[in-house]
Amino acid sequence: MEDEARPTHALAGQVAQLERLDASLIERLRHEALTASASWRAEYGDYQSGGWWTTSLMNASGDAGDVRIGDCTARPTTLLQHMPITAGLLADLGLSYMWVRLARLEANAFLWEHRDYDELDQVERHRLHIPLHTNSSAFLVTGGTKVHMAGGRIWRLTPTYAHGVCNLLGPDRIHLIADVYADDAYDRLAGRADAPETAERLPTATEAVLTERFAAARRLADLGYIDAAEQLLLRLFYCVALPEGTVYDLIADLHTGRGDAESCRRWTVAKSKLLALAAP
Amino acid sequence: MPTALPTAPAELQLVELAEANRPAQLPLLTRICEMLAASPAVTHLLVRGSLASGTADRLSDVDFVVGIHDRDLSTFTQSLDDLMTVAGGALLPGWRDTIVADLGGIGFVFLVQHEGKLQQVDLYLCPASQISLLRRKVAGKLLLERPPAEITTAQITQARIHITETLSRPRSCTELLIEHLVLAVLLHKRIRRGQRFVAYAEWHMLHTATKDLIKAALAPASSFWGWYQLREEIAITPIGRSCLAELDAAITSPAVPTTDDVNAALDRVIQLTQRACPNALDGLTDAITAYRTYLELA
Repeated sequence: MEDEARPTHALAGQVAQLERLDASLIERLRHEALTASASWRAEYGDYQSGGWWTTSLMNASGDAGDVRIGDCTARPTTLLQHMPITAGLLADLGLSYMWVRLARLEANAFLWEHRDYDELDQVERHRLHIPLHTNSSAFLVTGGTKVHMAGGRIWRLTPTYAHGVCNLLGPDRIHLIADVYADDAYDRLAGRADAPETAERLPTATEAVLTERFAAARRLADLGYIDAAEQLLLRLFYCVALPEGTVYDLIADLHTGRGDAESCRRWTVAKSKLLALAAP
Repeated sequence: MPTALPTAPAELQLVELAEANRPAQLPLLTRICEMLAASPAVTHLLVRGSLASGTADRLSDVDFVVGIHDRDLSTFTQSLDDLMTVAGGALLPGWRDTIVADLGGIGFVFLVQHEGKLQQVDLYLCPASQISLLRRKVAGKLLLERPPAEITTAQITQARIHITETLSRPRSCTELLIEHLVLAVLLHKRIRRGQRFVAYAEWHMLHTATKDLIKAALAPASSFWGWYQLREEIAITPIGRSCLAELDAAITSPAVPTTDDVNAALDRVIQLTQRACPNALDGLTDAITAYRTYLELA
C-alpha cells in the first residue's frame, strides 16, 4: 500500500516539481492573471470537454488570441505587455521560449487522455507549469497516478506521455504554461527536480468497476444522453488506473453495442489522434 | 386599477437593457433545459417558482417539473445523479427533496456550480401519466410538451411502484449529510432575504437531519419514532454520548439562526460524521471543500 502511495521513478520522468517561487510573487502573478483583459480561446476542441481556455503571453505572432502552438522563437504578445510581473518572471528565468500561455480550466472541464507535441519538430522541448489559481479537485493523471499541481512551485510535465487533466468541481484552475526548448538555462532549472509530493496512485480498475460504469453509460445512452454517456466513460481515466486508451475502447464498445458503427469508427479514429498512435 | 403601460416607441433601444437585466439564472435554466430535453423519455418540462412568475432575485433557485414517460421513470431516476454530475455540473448527488409537496412524483435538489457560483436546481420527476393532474395543482410555465408514446396500464403501475419504493427507502448517512449541505444553502438564502419564519422552519429541519444522521449511524435498527428514546438507544457509549451532546448544542442554539450559526452547525455535523460514520464522507471531501469555497466559508 505504501509502495502504491509513493511516487515511482517512472512518474518523476513524467511530472516533477522544480524551483520554489516566492509566495508574494505568486500572489502578484495571480492578480495579474485574474485581472488581465485576456482574449480566451477554446482551441484543441477534440482534446477537451469544453471549458479549457487559453490565451498567449509569448508566441510567434505577438497576437494573444493565437493559441495553437508551433515551433518558433516566441515574442511577447500585447497581453504580456500589460502584465509586468509575469513578464519579469519570464525574463528572469532566461529560458528559450517556444510558446507561453495562460490556461484556464473551468469547473467540470477536462482535457481527455492524450499526448502532446506529436505535430511539432523533433527537437528537445519541455513543458513548464506555474499554477496560479487552483483547487484540490483539479489534477493531472499520468501513468495511472493522480498529481495535484499545488501552487508555489514551477512544475515540469513531459506531455509526450499519455496524460489528462481535470477540474472536477472548481473554481477555475489557472496555470501559466511555458513550452521551452532545451538549453543551459533549462538544464539549470530542471537540475533541481523533486518527485511530486502529492502524487496518489489511482486504484486499479476491477472488472466490477468497469462493468458498473459501462452499464451506467449504457443507461444514459439508451435514454438519449449520448454525450453524457461518453463523458461518463471518459471520466473513468481520472478515477481508476487503466491501460492506455481503455476509455476510448469502452466508448467504441458502447456504440457497437447500440449498433452505431459510425460512432464506433469515430472514436477509434479519435483514440489514434489523441494518443498519437499510428492510424488504425 | 393600474393602467396598461404604453407600447415603447420603436426608436427606443430597450433590447440591450432588457438583456442586461435578465435573471442571472436564465443561462443555467437554458443549459439544464437543453440537457434534459435531449432525451425522448422527457415528455414535459415546466419551470416553477419565481422564475416562472417573474419574481426571481439573484438567490432564486431553478425549479423544474420534468415529465418522464412512465416506462422510463425508473431508469431515469437511476441515471439522474450521473447526468447531473457529468452534464449538469452538480457538486454532489441529488438530495431527495422532503420539502416539496407530493405531486405524484419524486423531487430532487442539486447544488450546481454555474459561472463560479453555487446554484440550487430542483428537479421534480413526474410520470407523464400524472402530468395533467400535476398541472391542475401547480402553476408553472410550460417549456416543452411532447405527446408521449402510448402509456400502458402496466407502465403506470411500474412507475407508481418505483415512486413508492424510492420515497420509502431509508436514507443513508451520505444522503443525510448531503441533506445538511442543501439545507445550509437554503438557510443562507433565507437569512440574506430576511425570511425569518422560513429560516426557523428550515433550521428545525436541519436539527432533525442531524438527529436522523446520528440514528442512521449509531442506531440503524431503531424501532422508535422520531426523537423518542435517543438517550436510551444512543447515549450508552462514549461516541453516542458525544454525538448527543452535539445534538443538544444544536437544539439549544437560537430559534432563528445567523450565518455564523449555520456555519457552526455545518462544522459540527461534518465532525460528527467523521466520528460516527466516516464512510459517509468517502468521495465527498473535494466536493465539501468546493462547496465551502463557493459559499465563501473556507
